[in-house]
Amino acid sequence: MTELAAAAMANGAQLRLRQLTKAFGATKAVDQISLDVPAGAFVSLLGPSGSGKTTTLNLIAGFLTPDSGDILLDEHSIADVPPHKRNIGMVFQSYSLFPHMTVGENVGFPLRMRTRLSRQDARRRIDEMLALVQLSHLGDRYPRQLSGGQQQRVAMARALVSHPRLLLMDEPLGALDKKLREQMQIEIKRIHRNVGTTVIYVTHDQTEALTMSDLVVVMHQARVAQVGTPRALYEAPANLFVADFLGDSNLLTATIAQVRGDELAVEIGSGERIHATRSAAAASQGSDAVVLIRPEDISVTATGERTDGRDVLAGTIRDISYHGDTFKLDVAVGADVLKVRVARERGAGMERGDRVFLTWRSSAVRLLPAGDRPGDAGNQGEP
Amino acid sequence: MSTIAGRLGLGAAVLAVLVYLIFPVIVVVAISFSSGNFLVFPPPGFSLRWYESIAGDPEWVSALWVTLKVGSLSALIAVLLGVPAAFALVRHVIPAKALLNALILCALVTPPIVTALSTYLFFVPLGLVNTVVGLACAHAVSGMPFVVINTSASLRSADVNLERAAVIHGAHPLWAVLRITLPIISPGIVIGAIFAFVHSAHELLVATFVLGGVGKPVAVKIWSGVQATSDPTIAAASAILIGLAIFTFASAAATQSLAKRRTA
Amino acid sequence: MTALVEPRAAPLLRPARPSQAWLLPTMLLLPSLAWITFFFLAPLILMCWRSLASEGFSLETYSVLFTSPLFTKVMITTVKTAGIATVFALLLAYPLAYVLTISGGKMRALILVFVLIPYWVDIIVRSFSWLILLGDNGMVNKALMGLGIIGMPLQLLYNPFSVLLAMVQILLPLTTVTLFGAMLRIDRTLITAAKIHGASGWQAFRTVFFPLSLPGVYGAGLLVFVLALGFYVTPALLGSPRETMIAQTIMVEASQLLDWPQASAAGAVLLIITTSIAALYNRYFSLDRLWGGSDN
Repeated sequence: MTELAAAAMANGAQLRLRQLTKAFGATKAVDQISLDVPAGAFVSLLGPSGSGKTTTLNLIAGFLTPDSGDILLDEHSIADVPPHKRNIGMVFQSYSLFPHMTVGENVGFPLRMRTRLSRQDARRRIDEMLALVQLSHLGDRYPRQLSGGQQQRVAMARALVSHPRLLLMDEPLGALDKKLREQMQIEIKRIHRNVGTTVIYVTHDQTEALTMSDLVVVMHQARVAQVGTPRALYEAPANLFVADFLGDSNLLTATIAQVRGDELAVEIGSGERIHATRSAAAASQGSDAVVLIRPEDISVTATGERTDGRDVLAGTIRDISYHGDTFKLDVAVGADVLKVRVARERGAGMERGDRVFLTWRSSAVRLLPAGDRPGDAGNQGEP
Repeated sequence: MSTIAGRLGLGAAVLAVLVYLIFPVIVVVAISFSSGNFLVFPPPGFSLRWYESIAGDPEWVSALWVTLKVGSLSALIAVLLGVPAAFALVRHVIPAKALLNALILCALVTPPIVTALSTYLFFVPLGLVNTVVGLACAHAVSGMPFVVINTSASLRSADVNLERAAVIHGAHPLWAVLRITLPIISPGIVIGAIFAFVHSAHELLVATFVLGGVGKPVAVKIWSGVQATSDPTIAAASAILIGLAIFTFASAAATQSLAKRRTA
Repeated sequence: MTALVEPRAAPLLRPARPSQAWLLPTMLLLPSLAWITFFFLAPLILMCWRSLASEGFSLETYSVLFTSPLFTKVMITTVKTAGIATVFALLLAYPLAYVLTISGGKMRALILVFVLIPYWVDIIVRSFSWLILLGDNGMVNKALMGLGIIGMPLQLLYNPFSVLLAMVQILLPLTTVTLFGAMLRIDRTLITAAKIHGASGWQAFRTVFFPLSLPGVYGAGLLVFVLALGFYVTPALLGSPRETMIAQTIMVEASQLLDWPQASAAGAVLLIITTSIAALYNRYFSLDRLWGGSDN
């Protein structure tokens, strides 16, 4: 085990969710969720509103009791432990700093509640934390005198002061404007690297999840759609929902026309056939599937001739829009419309109604199971 | 209403109604300072004699004390009962919400004479007639909705995550409610208590039945005075009640803005 | 990266525990509910009981009531007075509530102060001030005589006119605030839409706003009517015996005649009437609205 990993193990807890379920009335907010979070990892729960991510966080925190299933922190079940005894830190979207206490008193709060540190030791810890979040000089101010970004940093200091092994963050940057958000993302990562605690981070912003996380858990309709590293999720989505949710995508309904070992020939709407390699999705002749090709992987080529074994499709430009450094094209191929990006110089010469040829690396094509229902906790790690 | 005539007409109507609303109050207050002997408006001159006569009359002073005692006690009971009820209604999902609303509606809408009569009949065997405590208990029933309504409003606008932030970082849930949430919603509670107090100070019929004899409160004394005499002492007593209402109203508003400034 | 270690024997499927969810709210509500039951409901039930059992179970008190011409007359007067007062209160409150709705923050606050301060003044004072204004030596008569319009003071008191004048003034704040609350809920973009499609200000009001405000008017009317039925001080102070309302009759029965069963019977009848109307109100207009709650 590397030194870094050892340090992470020391500061961060391992978290396991086992078939966690929680219903409100007739609706299941969280449905049989299972998850293994490695010690010290920065894990995002990503999904649209209503996907169950906030409910899951509240279950981990203890504000909600699961209907069934278990939560294990460092192999100890905490599902029956009340929230104030779980020894975790939490940061909220609205900062939730105590308005009648100074910044220093806010940060020192968990120490008052949980420990019996002497005043000096507590003072030292508070100063440590304030230095960590770079707010050393603001200890005597009141929350209302601070900006949004500063308040969020105080919230982080408060959450981390008692050295919890798990930190929960509930869309903490949602109330900040774009520039500040990006700055804070870097801040949070820096603090995480410094402290080494395990972080569960809830967000609906896929860019945030992709840039900050070691692992991303994509949630959809109370279930886990897929778990993996950001790259794995982007480049090898396991189902339609994940492919559509992360980044731009072209999704074409298709039928599998021919199976030859790991090579498949797939017939798309226009009747033409393109090639794909077998992936985790089950593939048999005649079955339905969905083809995923990312717009950035498609290039416009001069001729309709196949070169290097690459597929080529002919299409007509339906729409073209200018985006500064690129042009975005909507190209009609039969009944489907593919989104394509071209560099500025190329796009400048194109017009609506032009006939173009599209091509791509065969490895850029990905086959997904038809239908929307995500499977249970999908691949972990590289495909 | 886009025509000028329409606007003017509306404005005039509204002004007339506002005068209609406020004028009696002005009349009573003015007469309380009258130097004349009769209930004449406008008063002939300025004088504080009616206030002096009230201050010097032991019956009036004792009546004021009774009103204060009953009012404070009923407000206190209303708070002790109403605040937990507000928590239950706002923070939890209760199946019998509609039933509860109906119950509260009943208390607000039942004619005072019916409440007074029934309370009296109920209190006689219990020995609660002619007691300050008895009247306070009865007034607490109608004071409670005020506390519940105002506390609920405060609770709804308070950030529930503040309590959660305390709990997750080690505070016992009860501690978090008492030391974090209650201070934040205290303006709502105080306003509700004030409404309950003023309501009790003004209440006549239940007070007449339950405490209408020796230790009667101000409202009852004013009523018997109004029917008997016609000197401005009554006006002065009424003005005192008005002053009380305005004072509590103003302090409620002040409390609210003070609290807003602390947590802005 | 993950060392797959078998978790120590923690039960995988914990039994669901929905039973504990209602314990806390129940305990929080119990004191207030118990109090209301003991100090409010129990007395009402006792009163109804006393109306029946003076010598064994009998409906004698009720038959006396319903055959009594006095009672009938008083009930009719009560309903008539309450009804007329309600109508006038609505008529006056409507423009006031409308102006409140379309006013900006400062204006609205100012008008609300005017509307609410009288509400804080007790009913005796408010009724009593009319005594001063409308008396033979009162302001109105003095002004009219001073202007030479009349020679002798008008008898403005102790008639339906003075009772209604005072009642409407007392009911006005509540009516206004209730109507205001209802009007706030009307989507004003609808009016803008109407105007864009050619309606004049008056037409937009007549065809869009007014119909939408009617449910609020009915609701406020019901509420105010119920309260008006129970009025005591105003008719007692400002009306003649011909304007006696039911609350006064009950008071006389109870405190002067000491006829508790009879008084209880009359009280029960009044209670049933007001409860029925309140139930009607509750069915169509959720009470939650009165204090800004939502439907959760």
